[in-house]
Amino acid sequence: MLEAAAITRRFARTLALDRVDFCARPGEIHALIGENGAGKSTLINIFAGRLKADAGVVSLDGEPLAAGSAHLALKAGIVAVYQSPMLFERLSWEENLALGGFGAGVSRNDLAAAAQCAQPLAARLGFDLPPPGTPVERCSIGERVRLEILRALSFDPRVLILDEPTGVLAPAELGAFLELLRRLRGEGRIVILVTHKLAEAMAVADRVTVLRRGRVAAERLAANTDEAELARLMIGEITVPASTSAAPLAALGDRATPALTVEQVTLDCDGRRALDRLDFTLSMGEIVGLAGVDGNGQRELVELLAGRRAPTSGRVRVRAHGGAITVIPQDRDLDGLILDMPLWENLMLARPLRDRFTRRGWLQRSGAVAFCGELLERFRIRSAGAASTAASLSGGNRQRLAVARALAGAPQVLVAHDVCRGLDLRAMADVHRMLREFAAAGGAVLLISSDLDELLALSTRLLVICRGRVLALPADDCGSERIGLLAERIGLLMSGAAS
Amino acid sequence: MLEAFLASTIAMATPILLAALGELIVERSGVLNIGIEGAMLAGAFFGLTATWFSGSLALGLLASCAAAVAFNALLAVLVVNLAVNQVVAGTAIDILALGLTGVFYRRFFGLTGSAFTITPMRTIALGPLARIPLIGTALFDQSALVYLAFALVPSIAFVISHTRYGLELRAAGERPEAADALGLGVYRLRWQALMIAGVLSGLAGAFLTLTYTNTFIEGISAGRGYVALSVVIVGRWNAWGVAAASLLFGAAMALQFGLQAVGTAVPYQFFLALPYVLTIVVLAFMGGQADAPSALGSPYLRS
Amino acid sequence: MNARIAAAARPLAALVLAAAIISLVLIALGASPVAVAADLWQGAFGNWLATTDTLVKATPLVFTGLAIAIAFQGSLWNIGADGQLIIGAMAAGALGTALGGWPHPLAIIAMLTAGAAGGASWGGLAGWLRARREVNEVISTIMLNFVAAQVLSWAVHGPLMEPSHALPQSVVIAPSAQLAFYFEPSRLNLGMTVALLFAVVCHLGLFHSAAGFELRALGRNRRASAFFGIPIRRLTVLAMALSGALAGLGGAVQVSAITHRLFETMSPGWGYEAIAVALVARLNPLAIVPAAIVFGALDNGSQAMQRADAVSPVLVNVIQGMVIMILIAFDAMATTGMRTALFGLAGDARPSADAVAGAGDA
Repeated sequence: MLEAAAITRRFARTLALDRVDFCARPGEIHALIGENGAGKSTLINIFAGRLKADAGVVSLDGEPLAAGSAHLALKAGIVAVYQSPMLFERLSWEENLALGGFGAGVSRNDLAAAAQCAQPLAARLGFDLPPPGTPVERCSIGERVRLEILRALSFDPRVLILDEPTGVLAPAELGAFLELLRRLRGEGRIVILVTHKLAEAMAVADRVTVLRRGRVAAERLAANTDEAELARLMIGEITVPASTSAAPLAALGDRATPALTVEQVTLDCDGRRALDRLDFTLSMGEIVGLAGVDGNGQRELVELLAGRRAPTSGRVRVRAHGGAITVIPQDRDLDGLILDMPLWENLMLARPLRDRFTRRGWLQRSGAVAFCGELLERFRIRSAGAASTAASLSGGNRQRLAVARALAGAPQVLVAHDVCRGLDLRAMADVHRMLREFAAAGGAVLLISSDLDELLALSTRLLVICRGRVLALPADDCGSERIGLLAERIGLLMSGAAS
Repeated sequence: MLEAFLASTIAMATPILLAALGELIVERSGVLNIGIEGAMLAGAFFGLTATWFSGSLALGLLASCAAAVAFNALLAVLVVNLAVNQVVAGTAIDILALGLTGVFYRRFFGLTGSAFTITPMRTIALGPLARIPLIGTALFDQSALVYLAFALVPSIAFVISHTRYGLELRAAGERPEAADALGLGVYRLRWQALMIAGVLSGLAGAFLTLTYTNTFIEGISAGRGYVALSVVIVGRWNAWGVAAASLLFGAAMALQFGLQAVGTAVPYQFFLALPYVLTIVVLAFMGGQADAPSALGSPYLRS
Repeated sequence: MNARIAAAARPLAALVLAAAIISLVLIALGASPVAVAADLWQGAFGNWLATTDTLVKATPLVFTGLAIAIAFQGSLWNIGADGQLIIGAMAAGALGTALGGWPHPLAIIAMLTAGAAGGASWGGLAGWLRARREVNEVISTIMLNFVAAQVLSWAVHGPLMEPSHALPQSVVIAPSAQLAFYFEPSRLNLGMTVALLFAVVCHLGLFHSAAGFELRALGRNRRASAFFGIPIRRLTVLAMALSGALAGLGGAVQVSAITHRLFETMSPGWGYEAIAVALVARLNPLAIVPAAIVFGALDNGSQAMQRADAVSPVLVNVIQGMVIMILIAFDAMATTGMRTALFGLAGDARPSADAVAGAGDA
């Protein structure tokens, strides 16, 4: 039995966890849910020994765990599989597994033996192991997820923690994955599933703990609750403006002036075909959703549209002056912002804004600072002023800034890649509103995401990208009455099943 | 003539090889140690000093290693525990070592230091092998440090690619967060790598003052530490490549004496500059960082 | 605001701590720290002549310090300011002999231009190697230092050698190319003014120009800079060339004002000392000037220290190395909390600029 009592943890000024109690029993699948920023990741990092709690004790079967040591947590039998992949990409998959439980205690690095130990486990997972010696960087995303779970299982863990594992799985693979969890439960292990997807949680969990703003909002038996109640507990009394109403999926009809045309674009890079004869058009006023599981060519497409890559064949045409496509990158902290620089200088990163405030090579500082102030106010970005650093902003506000910056450049086309990943509901609603307003004013948006809810809520038209190919949906599936079936169809396309 | 050149090549290659092997291990663990030059210099000076005061070469070797390890420990605190910029920290070590050795040298031995010489290590001839014509003396009649250096090449190659320890080391250099999450202990691994490299750099320095010459001049390392850095890159981060590259640069340095003796119209400065120019040229053609450990040079703070 | 004051105070604290540690070293050497400190001060500021000489010694440090600051702001680790200074000095020293009939202002401008051009080519070469061939600039600039030293040696023993062939030195430059001393017998000359001028220019360029912004962005976050279309390769070459040019200028000023000819050694390690100067100045061009004066004072005072206390002037290297290490250690501790940093415990580490700057391809 894994027990946590009064866990508290601070990060600088934010109280991430506030006297959290938690309890999970053997032979149980326990879902830990909450919206982004509620503290779920912090809590499991403490369980797995990656972080130290400021106060409180975690104990396994009555034995208190040594804090702050992943090594000791592993020894005690607690293993975590994290949201961002923790495999060593340059090393082969056997080497990765050998670093798990298969190779422990053996000083000679015997990879063949490690691979042999992995076989039976993989078979139970229904997973074919890659050819011997393949480096992980050449494995697909799905294979990597399975390898990570395999490695986690190699430790024969008493507690298996999974942090948002289904984000990279195609909807069709979800079923098999949930089956695996049930099997693990049957073996008497404790499975902690961290997720913000209520449907999945309800499908498989026995108990549910809801975190809200660092506190335990509730603990329930899954049988005694439903998605609606959980959603209410997750969000609390704060009313979020209804931005999730189903969007009209009807075509725009006569306002179809093309803003962006992608003509038979193929992109080869790193020895493989990343994009295969892409052909689609964005019209002014449209929000075109591009649904797809991460790693199917979205990144390459975004780099292409941002001008960082040239297509191997085909071309991209943009209507109107300057051909301005503005991209909001997926990884805002690494690609989108310079955390150590003040906000107004972060705004200057965008070419159009930089040009606007540069005269003969000299920056018009006062003008730029004033403009930044205006922008912060117009988009209600909470900050300590234009001169404060980007690092001082919360995740949600950073993304608001990134979107505001993109819009301030008055682009023709906006490409938003995973624009709401990791945002709390209020920030998400704000960003959605900004995008809608932009489209309503005549802009064109390409919304690239793996979040079907978001795509269905915002898009006027849907495309699916899978293995570098873009597939459109047959016209008759676009009627709003059949959204449920539509989601299933999209899910199948995303996973590469026959279209 | 050829024999002398060959012998010289191997002798000149040895300190570079020793230092580069140490740096190979360190870089595989993810740390870029610019301070090799400083550690080597410290090893050279303090080894000679210890020998001079005690009369024992063994003690001198020990002192060399200890001095270099001390400098590497200082670097380790900075780049591992404090996660500072590795280039700046390494450069500071070099400057510090230059200063410390200079100050101590002049304090104890005055400006000329003429009396600061010792009886150098003798070479050890490996029996009948040393009598092979042409290559015998070059390959088999060298100092013990030379044999050690070349013997280390296959050993280190094996450890890095075929042992669990090597695997853990490589993991730390690829993705330290993941390695820590698996409980491998990135700080521990990097510290150990730097300590091992300290011993090797110390031996490299000792070679300079206890074998190759028998005295100390300020700045005796003359950039060999930086050449060692290039050797790791050119050797594509594996021990055999490092050995080959060390021999290449050793040959370039040996060329100085060979061609000077021949007496050409080419000014001697050309030969002195040759190893450094060669380093740049070789790096220009083979300097790609594609094979570098993924986390090389990135400060990593456990959180 | 608090954080800013603390950040500005750290260099001072670093100097104090370095002084404390150096005292221990001195005691180990059998010298008296108090006596050494007194002699250092005396040598640096004891009288008018000493003070002016401190300024003279600080001048090349301003130039090389600026060179380092510009490069480091772009995360370009230019350890080759020495070599760039030497090549600049050579260019100026060679040209200077031919400027006989020129009017003084033009001759000086020609000297400075030659110095800047020489340094720019040396620095630009390293920049090109980094941009086009992925050659680690730390290694290439250090290698180029050694090469520059040999080129200088060859020049003063060969083509540029003075006709009598008595000593390895070049012909004296024409009088019109020499910067005069203002208040003889002090050696104060226009060089410091030129240095100040460039400090201001660098500051303006770095913080008020679009190019300076791009350079600072590159230095802090390489990925984001690439994403927003900042021309990284071009910027690398230009920044390294500019850095080299500043160092080369320092060389030209040295030749023009102080040495009037070329010798086998033109730099006692200013290029390395400049790293300490630049870090103490927190890479801010205006702050380089006072920082250079501090280190110039140490250099100047160390001569007196050698005579009086028999401690080698190389002690200043120890000071430099220590100051750098203490300063970067303080900065690290400030970001992560001292206890955390020293013992590697769980902490609030924010991604440092280096971490996101892709320093992995250093």
